Amino acid sequence: MFRTQLMTSLSVLALSLAPATGALAEDADGNIVVGFATAETGFMQAYDKPAQDAAMIRIDEINAAGGLLGKQIKVVNADTKTDRAEGAKAGLSVLDAGADMVVVSCDYDFGAPAALTAESSGKISFFLCAESIKAGIQGVGPHSFSASVLAAVQGATMAEWAYTKKEARDFYRLLDTSYVYNKGICDGFDWMLPKLADATLAGEDVFKNDDASIASQISRIKALPKEPDAIMLCTMMPGAVSAIKQIRAAGINSMILNGSAVDGSYWLSAVPDLSNFYVPVQGSVYGDDPNPDVNAFNALYKEKTGADPATQYTYPGYSMIDVWAKAVERAGTIDADAVVAELEKMDNEPTLFGPRTFTSELHHQNKARYLIVETTAGKPGVIDEWTISEPVPMDALMK
Amino acid sequence: MAQDAQKPQKSVLLRTIATPLILTALMVALALLTLAVGSRPFNQTMIDIFVRVILVVGLYIFVGNSGVLSFGHIGFTCLGAYAAAWLTMPPMMKELSFPGLPDWLKAVQLPYGPGAVLAALFAGVFALLFGRVLMRLSGIAASIATFAMLAMINTIYANWESVTAATNSVVGIPIVRTIWPYMIGAIVAIFVAWLHAVSRFGLALRAARDEPTAALASGIDIPRVRLVAFGLSGVVMGLGGALMAHSIGVVTPDTFYLGLTFITLSMLVVGGMSTLSGAVSGVVILSLLIQGLRWLERGVPVGNTTFALPGGLQEILLGVVMIAILARRPNGLFSKEFAWPFGARDRRGPALAATQTVPEGDA
Repeated sequence: MFRTQLMTSLSVLALSLAPATGALAEDADGNIVVGFATAETGFMQAYDKPAQDAAMIRIDEINAAGGLLGKQIKVVNADTKTDRAEGAKAGLSVLDAGADMVVVSCDYDFGAPAALTAESSGKISFFLCAESIKAGIQGVGPHSFSASVLAAVQGATMAEWAYTKKEARDFYRLLDTSYVYNKGICDGFDWMLPKLADATLAGEDVFKNDDASIASQISRIKALPKEPDAIMLCTMMPGAVSAIKQIRAAGINSMILNGSAVDGSYWLSAVPDLSNFYVPVQGSVYGDDPNPDVNAFNALYKEKTGADPATQYTYPGYSMIDVWAKAVERAGTIDADAVVAELEKMDNEPTLFGPRTFTSELHHQNKARYLIVETTAGKPGVIDEWTISEPVPMDALMK
Repeated sequence: MAQDAQKPQKSVLLRTIATPLILTALMVALALLTLAVGSRPFNQTMIDIFVRVILVVGLYIFVGNSGVLSFGHIGFTCLGAYAAAWLTMPPMMKELSFPGLPDWLKAVQLPYGPGAVLAALFAGVFALLFGRVLMRLSGIAASIATFAMLAMINTIYANWESVTAATNSVVGIPIVRTIWPYMIGAIVAIFVAWLHAVSRFGLALRAARDEPTAALASGIDIPRVRLVAFGLSGVVMGLGGALMAHSIGVVTPDTFYLGLTFITLSMLVVGGMSTLSGAVSGVVILSLLIQGLRWLERGVPVGNTTFALPGGLQEILLGVVMIAILARRPNGLFSKEFAWPFGARDRRGPALAATQTVPEGDA
């Protein structure tokens, strides 16, 4: 009896091991290899997939135009399953498949394990759209970059723009403490506010993303002697929708300023006729981008994937391949250190979605051109663009 | 054990040592296989399996012997992982991530080995503290109380900004990618679990599990024997947490919550909650099944076409397989300990024989 058990278990073992051993094939046909260690399943897939599709569009364009350094760019994929331990494995998988550059998940927490594997192999890693300062030198190492813009820049942009263009003076700061991203937006706002002459903080409060009700926070806003000109709302999905709905339902009509995380029209039906609502975006998904090339990109994206981009987080994937390929072209090699050196020379390098700058201290954007999208009667559209007057300094970012 | 040795029979240690030795051989075989394959993702997969072995064996020490299902042990894994981060990160990075740590701790930078041992002891101390209170409860009340403990640890670690960096990922933990430390950790865990199971504490605890009234009447102090197992399993869970931190290089509080709790518990239950062999093989079999299904999801070339399962099917199939196993074998795959498959007449000594029967409804 027992013998059979042991034998069965051993044969189960042998059977299950057999597939894993032959899993990886080596390729060395002289192509440049970009490895995507991103989420193909799990909740991060919703963030990673659009940006990755945009990256593929740029890769296809480069290959069609003759490739990079005369070689074609080949792509290898590994699924992180939206899991950190799997992320480390996915990073190692694409590295073993010969990746010269590793693209990792959008979010710092989920991208970091794969980025760390690339860093320890001396390869470049790019976060698809992480907006924390840690996604780069500070949290991974000298070969790591992020394709997006720091969250703090979004908060600072909204504060300065609302002050200058909408003459907002009394600001109310409402922070959702559940995610680091949200704190980043409010950090940028906190840094900008004292620079704006006679702008005041009428009050501040915190809530959690999964709070069913923010009634007590709303009563404190209602108790103010005067309705604030603007509410800086540092939050993200899905809690953002409920918070916005409750603020408006309580009859508070102040302008609501946000980070880019609430971009997109997919949720607007939940708050009918929303107005006086502002979001900074790197490019417009609403077909009204001032740059016709962005609208052409949207059309191309629709042709390739069957749908328009849902949010602005599609775009960093495209800029990422764009700046990386330029750096490789300038370095004349795919050697990681040489490419990093070229990337760090980029100062306001033009891309389809605004200029990009990298330095040896910061592999992220501490200043960027943002389009301002206003939602009026439930309809979002670009009304302006804004670049903050000075970059967000390191000490405000490291808070 | 000393009295046992004086009996005419072989000592309980000798009679039962086959189990840890077979399991150790299995661990060494897996490590050697990893070397032979030589692929880094495969290496990482095996490291994962060894870490899970440590965690599930840690769970077994308490759950298997006491019959009390604990939902809280991953809390000790969290304590171990963060303690390893505090002890092994470079002082400069600690200053950034954990400004609230005491200065002496900020200045310390240990190699990962001693760091992991201290982290394990740290988790063990907390297990003893919590255990003092929790071990007075029994049955479902004890299970729910352990869950409350997990929620408490998670909430503290997710909010104590200056000491745990709250929900921020902690990076800068030295990453160890050689398989040996993990293999050794798993083997140590197996031997600790075995020694505990055959000791008087293990025997008394199983007696209390199977016949609490008779155990009490025989003078067994149930809270005390449970506390010993709880503390010891806390140490092993802490060791697992420390090694887990070194295997990925990033820790966050939400890694150590419900997801990990349920996967480790299901590995234990599927393998066989009442035996050490079940605990270890549950991890190995389920992990290999998961990897096999993932490999099928990625696609297998069959002739000219590629056969691939739809993405996400792995989780569903895993669930189906687990239901099938439990339907066929409600006590798990291995409700008897591994023993030498030949010769030995008294291969199942009385000490471990007691581990092999779980009364109906106790699982």
